[in-house]
Amino acid sequence: MNIFLLFGMGLFSLVFLCLYRAVFGPGVLNRIAAISAIGTKTLVILLLMGFIYNRVEMFVDISMVYALLNFIGTITAAKYLEMKGEL
Amino acid sequence: MISITDDIIIRTVSRVLIPFIQVYALYVIMHGHHSPGGGFQGGVILGASFILYLITHGLEEAKERMSELKAGLLSTFGILLYSGIGLLCLIMGRNYLDYGGLSTLLKVIPAQARSLGILGIEIGVGIAVMGVMFSVFFDISTGGILPEDEEDLGVNR
Repeated sequence: MNIFLLFGMGLFSLVFLCLYRAVFGPGVLNRIAAISAIGTKTLVILLLMGFIYNRVEMFVDISMVYALLNFIGTITAAKYLEMKGEL
Repeated sequence: MISITDDIIIRTVSRVLIPFIQVYALYVIMHGHHSPGGGFQGGVILGASFILYLITHGLEEAKERMSELKAGLLSTFGILLYSGIGLLCLIMGRNYLDYGGLSTLLKVIPAQARSLGILGIEIGVGIAVMGVMFSVFFDISTGGILPEDEEDLGVNR
């Protein structure tokens, strides 16, 4: 069995733990942190998919964009909450 | 209205990160026919870098770098580049956006002319998408009302 597939499935199961925190988590800060963690796991899974399909150079580009948009999304959500005065 | 954030970590990180984001966006645009990406995706990344600047440095500072007028002009310039290359192909006696017709104009073989033509199209699309992305975010975040208009309109926000 491919070790990359094994690690990818492990990370995929961990996504659901974060999803629980994102759905039921008390407070909005927990939700933002959970969604950010899901994004980080997703980009690692994308890289592992690149190793499985032997086309890492393509998946590196995709995962880099994913990391970038995840970062901007987290900052935007935090800024929105700051402006609304809910923190 | 979005004001400058008083957190020095976010300001510093974004100031360091924005040039790299923009270089990466240019890479996605220029390298779009060999790897995932292209004009639209690169334009979105380029627009995201300006949106990050607006969020972290506030509306007043961001307007000096990229105002709504500049974004509108850039988006129309991108469309002009796109349709201009297409019309140039039409003038050279080919179909619209048939870049093979540019080979006599650029003095290269038709295959190379096609590669250069699609590159020009992608640059145009990237500039247009960047302008529209920034314009949409700018309009939503200000509600379409700029701070200098507030006295004229008598809006209390």
